[in-house]
Amino acid sequence: MSVRVGSTRRGFLTVTGAAAALALAGDLPGVGQALAGATGRGDRRDPFTLGVASGDPLPDAVVIWTRLAPDPLTPFGGMNRRPVEVGWQVAEDPRFRRIVRQGTTQARPEASHTVHIDVRGLRPWREYWYRFRVNGKLSPVGRTRTAPAPNAVVDEMSLAFASCQAWWEGWYTAYADMAKREHDVVFFLGDYIYEFGIDRGIRPHSNEPWMTQQTVTLDEYRVRYASYKMDPDLQAAHASAPWVVTLDDHEVVDNWADEAHPSAPPAQFLVRRANAFRAYWEHMPLRLAQLPKGPDMQLYRRIKYGRLAEFSVLDTRQYRSDQAYGDGSKAPGPETKDPARSITGAAQEKWLLDGWAASPARWNVLAQQNALARLDVKEGPEVLVPMDTWDGYEASRNRILGAAYERKLRNLVSIGGDLHRSVASDLKLDFTNPDSPTVGTEFVGTSISSAMDGMDLDPGGVTLMKENPHIKFGNFQRGYVSCSITPQRWISDYRVVDKVSIPNGTVSTRAKLLVEDNRPGIQIL
Amino acid sequence: MTIRWQSAVALGTAVAAAIALPQATNGAPPRTDVQVSVQPTQLSVVGLPCFPGNLTLTMTNTGAEDRYADLTLDPRGPLQLSRELFSSWLPAVDPDQPVSAPVEVRVPRDTQPGNYSIELEVDRSKVTVPVTVNPLPAKGPGSNVALGEQATASSTHGNFAVCGGVDGDHDSAHWDTLTGWNDGTRAVFPDNYAVTLAAPTTINRVELYTLDTAQWPAATNGLRDWDVQVRSGTGDWQTVAQVRGNTLGHVVSTFDPVQTDAVRILCLAGNGNTYSRIVELEVYGS
Repeated sequence: MSVRVGSTRRGFLTVTGAAAALALAGDLPGVGQALAGATGRGDRRDPFTLGVASGDPLPDAVVIWTRLAPDPLTPFGGMNRRPVEVGWQVAEDPRFRRIVRQGTTQARPEASHTVHIDVRGLRPWREYWYRFRVNGKLSPVGRTRTAPAPNAVVDEMSLAFASCQAWWEGWYTAYADMAKREHDVVFFLGDYIYEFGIDRGIRPHSNEPWMTQQTVTLDEYRVRYASYKMDPDLQAAHASAPWVVTLDDHEVVDNWADEAHPSAPPAQFLVRRANAFRAYWEHMPLRLAQLPKGPDMQLYRRIKYGRLAEFSVLDTRQYRSDQAYGDGSKAPGPETKDPARSITGAAQEKWLLDGWAASPARWNVLAQQNALARLDVKEGPEVLVPMDTWDGYEASRNRILGAAYERKLRNLVSIGGDLHRSVASDLKLDFTNPDSPTVGTEFVGTSISSAMDGMDLDPGGVTLMKENPHIKFGNFQRGYVSCSITPQRWISDYRVVDKVSIPNGTVSTRAKLLVEDNRPGIQIL
Repeated sequence: MTIRWQSAVALGTAVAAAIALPQATNGAPPRTDVQVSVQPTQLSVVGLPCFPGNLTLTMTNTGAEDRYADLTLDPRGPLQLSRELFSSWLPAVDPDQPVSAPVEVRVPRDTQPGNYSIELEVDRSKVTVPVTVNPLPAKGPGSNVALGEQATASSTHGNFAVCGGVDGDHDSAHWDTLTGWNDGTRAVFPDNYAVTLAAPTTINRVELYTLDTAQWPAATNGLRDWDVQVRSGTGDWQTVAQVRGNTLGHVVSTFDPVQTDAVRILCLAGNGNTYSRIVELEVYGS
């Protein structure tokens, strides 16, 4: 949706002033051409090719985001390397009749002309609409919503969560569906891009150079984000709700762990990680607190929804011990049980448990990258579990689930991704003993598109269901999870797409799963 | 590096914090703490589509602060570059840590031989890389007419390059340096690998090198069954030779002379039933 500036009463008065100043400069010899390449006057290209986004809602604030990129796949996004004035507005209505906050900022070349505005002074738990303007060109309008006031009693909230959006493996039909539902908040749990070069895909242009080469340098990661974010369904999902994002491995490289990856020695790998983090921050609606300093980024953080829910957003990549037994699926052993190994790192674990101790929330949610539940992938008495998930870090998992149990943490729910399949589980104090207490509940969402069409239950899914009695639901189609949460219950709708190999697949609810207050574990509705 | 935090203009009573990045003070002199080097320091290329010249660009932060840097590449004349930008974070560490990236340089077939250049620039300091475009190699009787010509494939594994099978290197020992072609669909056949010749040419011999080393013998890793095909005037592929049950690293197929503008290997099976692997495809006339 695009709203003409003339339809608002207050308009972009100050922004117009700034634009006029730029136009004057444009008359100076040698400056006109540069401005033409920077979406100045005379540049008819649309600078908002990557849409708008918002994220990390607080009771009084939300981050709004856009990037100026008239030619998103070319160096510097088709911009020249100078700052550009960008106006922004936040309103209480989608037609911008009641504008409550507005301002100008500079989109700077060193941040790929991205704009991250931390809009403060908003009212809690209400909808807002936002847009940007540069030299008379208006961005699409985004809808967002602030978090409830601290300690507010919240009757109901909606959220969606998603992961794993391999662009070349499928159309983002799930995102079109997600956008229509206008959730209060969306969690993205990792694999927003894939770093490796692909060979062929189901979408047109899958074999263009910007998809067939791996990303290592900063310019390459930036182009990869741009190529994904050009998708209109992804843009619609971003514009429909604030997103809270965390990353997994493919935002950097397959199965990296802290400073370790087989592709390069640590010093060299950390340069790649720094490049990947920088491009990630630039393209996500994140605060300055998350701006990476070289190869380090403070990504784990807490998002609170009054007394209803508290979300601990984890980073299980940056501080983890290297995968046990050389990665892959292996039998559990001394390495996976080694208390010195961790998937969170000691500082993040302490932060998590301290946060739980102080939490007044009815629902305590872990928003994390993969599966907490044990996944025995081998049929028969032999046990093989993935070394890259929490299974490879059993001591880490036991400390966290053990703490939740001992402290009688109210309603622990884990939401995860990474598996490219839907898996809903009871979280057991001891996964090897079906009679052990159920500590919490886990919803792992499937991929948006990674792994292509899939099927209801593949042989791997059959094995998982058979070998892991704590798993109550499995599905191997693409989609996302849409949830409704009240103080009394949590309902997860597993939304699946019949085909992602065609642009117009059909989305339906494959399963409706319930968790009741004070009764951990999955109930199938 | 001097930095400051710039806050955005907040209007009226708005309480808005724009997220502004640390930035260089306006008017500061250009920073020159990034050392640029390029290997080789000069380049020779020919106008063959699958025979690019390769440069390695290196930036090294010699300053006291970690930083990001943009190296732009400006091709002068008809040069075509695989990248015109190399951006990276550059740590300030002791000893200095160089950060490198590759760039491929191509020229159209009809490029006038002569001297051209690529201008590299970081922070307004420049480096010029001279590029000599040499005349096309004469492809007379007895020469490999597939050398450096445009290769295409049904698929290519992400760790390999489609041009690897026509790069003039048929030594399996160099397999892991992108000297060959490996298809991208494991255990799925057929695959195909084709090369388009510069012009219709009369040919009567195709030599195929498949992977064959002590560690990866052809008998377990090489191509087993394939058809040698040529493109007819109507665009159809016509089989001129067949190889079945191969266990060798080098196979010569001869056939009656035929005029064609493209040659294709239709890969029907591999030893080990994994991938199709071609180290080099050579095509000869009589």
